[in-house]
Amino acid sequence: MKLAAVLVAAVAASSSPVQAAAVPGQPAPDFRAADVNGRAVSLADFRGKTVVLEWNNPNCPFVQKHYTSGNMQSLQQRNTGSGVVWLAINSTTDSHSDYMAPAKLATWFADQKATPTAILMDTGGEIGRAYGAKVTPHMYVIDPKGTVIYAGAIDDKRTANPADVKTATNYVAAALADTRAGKPVASATSSAYGCTIKY
Amino acid sequence: MDENHGMRTLRLLTPILAAAWLALASSAAIGQSLPRFGAPDPHVKASLIAATDAAVPGQPLQVGLRLVHDKDWHTYWQVPGDSGLPTRIDWQLPAGMTAGPIEWPYPHRLPAGPLVNYGYDGDTLLLTTVQVPANLQPGTPVTLNGKAEWLECKDVCIPGSADVTLTLPVKSEANPSTQAALFTQARKLVPAALPGLTARSTIEADRIRLALDLPADRKAESLEFFPLEEARIEPAAAQVLNRRDGVSLYLTAAKPVKADAKSLAGVVVANGGPAKPGGWAAVVEAPLVAGVVSAPGTAAVGANAPTMSLVAALGAAFIGGLILNLMPCVFPVLSLKLIGLAQHRTHSGPMAAHGIAFAVGVILSFVLLAGLLIALQQAGSALGWGFQLQTPWVVASLTVLFFVIGLNLLGVFEFTFGSGLGNTRAADALVGKSDWRGSFGTGVLAVIVASPCTAPFMSAALGYAITQPAAIALSVFAMLGVGMAAPYLLLTLFPVLLAKLPRPGRWMELFKQFMAFPMFATCVWLMWVLAQQVDAGGVALALGVLVAVAFALWAVGLTQRGSTLFRWVALVGAVLAALTFAPLAMTEAGSSAKSSSSAGWIDYSPEKLAQLTGEGKVVFVDFTAAWCVTCQVNKRVALNTDKVVSRFAAEGIVRMKADWTNRDARITKALAEFGRNGVPLYVLYDASGKPTVLPEILTEGTILAALDRVKLASR
Repeated sequence: MKLAAVLVAAVAASSSPVQAAAVPGQPAPDFRAADVNGRAVSLADFRGKTVVLEWNNPNCPFVQKHYTSGNMQSLQQRNTGSGVVWLAINSTTDSHSDYMAPAKLATWFADQKATPTAILMDTGGEIGRAYGAKVTPHMYVIDPKGTVIYAGAIDDKRTANPADVKTATNYVAAALADTRAGKPVASATSSAYGCTIKY
Repeated sequence: MDENHGMRTLRLLTPILAAAWLALASSAAIGQSLPRFGAPDPHVKASLIAATDAAVPGQPLQVGLRLVHDKDWHTYWQVPGDSGLPTRIDWQLPAGMTAGPIEWPYPHRLPAGPLVNYGYDGDTLLLTTVQVPANLQPGTPVTLNGKAEWLECKDVCIPGSADVTLTLPVKSEANPSTQAALFTQARKLVPAALPGLTARSTIEADRIRLALDLPADRKAESLEFFPLEEARIEPAAAQVLNRRDGVSLYLTAAKPVKADAKSLAGVVVANGGPAKPGGWAAVVEAPLVAGVVSAPGTAAVGANAPTMSLVAALGAAFIGGLILNLMPCVFPVLSLKLIGLAQHRTHSGPMAAHGIAFAVGVILSFVLLAGLLIALQQAGSALGWGFQLQTPWVVASLTVLFFVIGLNLLGVFEFTFGSGLGNTRAADALVGKSDWRGSFGTGVLAVIVASPCTAPFMSAALGYAITQPAAIALSVFAMLGVGMAAPYLLLTLFPVLLAKLPRPGRWMELFKQFMAFPMFATCVWLMWVLAQQVDAGGVALALGVLVAVAFALWAVGLTQRGSTLFRWVALVGAVLAALTFAPLAMTEAGSSAKSSSSAGWIDYSPEKLAQLTGEGKVVFVDFTAAWCVTCQVNKRVALNTDKVVSRFAAEGIVRMKADWTNRDARITKALAEFGRNGVPLYVLYDASGKPTVLPEILTEGTILAALDRVKLASR
């Protein structure tokens, strides 16, 4: 019994937990990755601009909730229009059935009429682990100085039901509004909800 | 891995799933709530059942949502962990009836890649108590309706829902239903507060220690903690149980750490939970206070390394033991042993006995040392590994021992027992006891001299061991011994390998004499250690002892060659040696210890360190001791090289020296915080105060690379 528990612990310990995290108030971990068009994108490129990171997996019902309702697209459009950089990041490992090749992922975004600044391939999961991203959609907002100002869920309705978008409080929109108004972000963290990222 | 399992099936399923999602999406877009998931088959079957065959007016009615999961599929607990959603029930009940919250059975950890969720698989019953109004008229049946919603996951997640319904007659008395047994079973799995169980918790940075006082009839061989609030602890972080004094569970707080939290609420599950024999679960609410939480034995703090499991610790201890053989303070003794082996190479029989005796000697010594260490630790002494060398009389005794061995190797006198005998004696020793005794002694000696050399892996294993129950600590130490003895045991058990060793001859006598010089070199090192602990007078006394010992042994040697006259001379020499040694034995360490901080280094203190890191300074701390050879080598080849020194200076990095040559409780404690119990330990604090542990064997490259990383991070 005891031995079994020890063995379980050993196995659990062998896969290193996602513990590094981007924490509001602290510098955002820098990263460099290829986007779906093979272009190298690095966070440092966008110093001086507000950056939104959206963890994405088109096969996740929670991601679908925000795309079928048009919620994510409208957030992207409104904010990229006013100078915000929006990076969609897919950390699904290529051995998982949810994995989408860059071209396929690009097509999905195009079909959704989504307008992120770039769609990044994080197949190795390095960016996800550095940020402590756990679910899709896990959302981060980074201020022009490179400090994390929001980390967590997209909104407060923890469901996969697209109808809930209408009545939800959108934390990302609120954080962006606060920072645009030059105010500190009122709620800088929340528990993200969604599908487990397939690292 | 779980991720790859059934991947092919999933690939085939993907188009179907995609089609299903499309259906889901389109229906959802019109604003409808989620339909029941039609295709493919739902992986979780839901039904509503009752414990009794009727509802009784004025009495609570026990109902339950039964979730039967397909193999490998699961749903979530009230706090789902890293991802997932708790199952919900929206009730539509007849007027006057109210349903309580779900009474959750204790959950299981569900690993998903690097993440961990909390939930259920198999057949689960989520209990709910429904209040039945007293004015309900018997005769007319009541129908309970509920809409259950959950998230079902395997390596993909699908929202699931079901409209569940249950119609019951209303009677003045009820009997157990056909499913009553399920309820009895499920009730046992719902944790409640346990009378006599008290809990308190301490938090330091992101480390939390949950300390439990158990009622006498409860044991905790294993323990898991499930938080009742989200974002309080890191679900995937290893939870380490320490049962040294009381029961403590070490947890990792979720980032960002909620600084204003005053309590930590959760469910503790012991010994596998109530479903297992001896298992139990309870709800705890522990007051949370800021304080000191030393690491329970992590391998390296800065690297987010998971806490060492027993298997890993035993493996590391074995490797550490192997490496010990190559350490400068062990190799000379073991070379001696090899000479012994070569001498006996023609007799394959006793050789195995030699090897086994040596191994037993090594292992027993490690276990004894560990036992002693544990005993002292429990007595509250702030002692650590290598503590033997923190006492001057021990250092002096070791000097004498090595000096005596050196004289013996040079041929001044003969040991009349043990393995240092000539070829002729070895033949006699075939049946004699003296031979294995000698091997056993070599094993013991090897361990004594190995203790200051905390080789890589060893200190992490030690740090792990010291936080564990005595049995585990002892087995880790024994494993160090096994590792150390392994090469010799192998050589003796498979003498074929010994054939690769050169044939005996005059070279052996010369080599044996030559080996006296590493012994004398060791004496020089030990004298240098002693000089850090006592004043010049003390050193002179120790040297005086050596002269007296040399004199006595010279007389012994002459006696052995037949000059009986010298027997009394030997006795005089021995008495002289003892008299000289006496005052040394009474000298306390540190009475005149010199501050050996060299240029550019400041002395370590926890307050000073906190102040400097608070100011945003990058600080390098060198935990060292004069008797630690590895430390001295690192100093030469890496820490004090021009390149490194100028780099430290150029970047204004503060260098701190924590000198553990003499006992220092604060340094012992600092080492423990890094899960260590010995030196060297090198820690680099970046501008934000985050520590990175550097390897124990340093090169210029490692240090410069670490400085680069810190520079990059602070940018």
